[in-house]
Amino acid sequence: MMPQHADEISDEQLMARLDSPQLEVALSALYDRYSRTVYGVGLKILGERSSAEELVQDVFLKVWRSSHTFDPSRGSFSTWLYRVTRSCAMDLYRKRAHRVSQVPEGDQHIAAMRDPSAGPQEVVDESWLSWRASRALEVLDAPHREVIELAYFGGLSQREISQRTGVPLGTVKTRTASAFKKLRAELALGDTPQEANR
Amino acid sequence: MRCAEIHTNLTAFVIGGLEPEEAAEIRRHLASCPGCRRELEELRKVNRVLEAAPPPADPPSHLKDGILSRVRAEVLSPSNKGEPEEAPFLEEQTGSSRTSRFHRFKNLRIVLPSLAAAAVVVVVGLGIVFGFLRVDAPVATIQLVPTPHEAATLHGYWGVAELRPQLSGNLQVKLKLDNFEEPRPNSYYELWFVSGEKRISAGSFTSVGQGETRVLLNVPPEARKYHTLLITEERIDNDSAPAEEVALKGEVP
Repeated sequence: MMPQHADEISDEQLMARLDSPQLEVALSALYDRYSRTVYGVGLKILGERSSAEELVQDVFLKVWRSSHTFDPSRGSFSTWLYRVTRSCAMDLYRKRAHRVSQVPEGDQHIAAMRDPSAGPQEVVDESWLSWRASRALEVLDAPHREVIELAYFGGLSQREISQRTGVPLGTVKTRTASAFKKLRAELALGDTPQEANR
Repeated sequence: MRCAEIHTNLTAFVIGGLEPEEAAEIRRHLASCPGCRRELEELRKVNRVLEAAPPPADPPSHLKDGILSRVRAEVLSPSNKGEPEEAPFLEEQTGSSRTSRFHRFKNLRIVLPSLAAAAVVVVVGLGIVFGFLRVDAPVATIQLVPTPHEAATLHGYWGVAELRPQLSGNLQVKLKLDNFEEPRPNSYYELWFVSGEKRISAGSFTSVGQGETRVLLNVPPEARKYHTLLITEERIDNDSAPAEEVALKGEVP
């Protein structure tokens, strides 16, 4: 039998391999598939790059250490990983809130800036939306993702995207519409918030 | 305008990417077309999710190596780890069935002489301890994002400024920039703290382009009152005035 390449193996099969001598290859493949999402969600809800890096580390160590708690019959790996991410993010959120309260009095102004405005429940709600959006964007190929990223993160109009990329305006509009169609299908397939928040 | 033509533009309409006259035409059509209004609502649902999307950014490359190294060290020296950590929700998922998968894998591990394993533990332990002690938490962290003009041509290009008060009273600024392109020939970058018309320069620097650039700069304590950070690209010439074109901008939250 031909050996299976890591990128052809399902998430669930990779999880099973965390319990074998192929541990590093399996964890590395899962990291390649999901670290961008975990990092992005960390940036979004924790707001600090150092905290987002800490989150990525905590999450993937927990994926390995807690792999035996993953039961594929109870939901997708993505949803399970979201719950791991949410749990680790909440721990970091609380830790950070504790650190903020310890800023010396002389730094009142800066302490106020770091005080998180969102409560824990808001953080959780936002994290699921961010997770879904990030995972959905992963299904897009490069040209479709480009128009979406330029629109949402660059704040460009369709005409400006056309001028910037050199792609005809009609094609930019078609790609944007096509990207939305794919995203709509992807989002319809995902788990519900109830499943994610179990 | 027919529904088929409207549908091509409807997504761009939802995300606000049409020219005013195009948007006006869509609105006129929507006023008299229930089918297109239903489609509009579906697209708005997707838009709501996308508005929550995190910024496109890759974690720093060293992170993966660090995680795999730590796993490797723990596999070789399970006693260093003890029992695997469990979050409460993970315990709930499996009830009391903390399976022996981890322990079965432990039996598969390569058995090294205990002295070598102990050495790994000590080295990793010292690394963690000294690494931790070196951490000097910033009092403020500011996201630096490209201006829309700059963002259009670059991917994963952004930065963070961490502020740390120094014993001298100065404020240290630690810049971490991702994929920040090198300055043009005879140019350099400059970081500014800005408040209205007033600005304080935190110093000048260059960038490595692809990958991560780290820079340490200092500003006087007054800079704490300045709420906007700008990175400009400056020409080496006789003009001391700051450049108008801003590459990255951050607002103290």
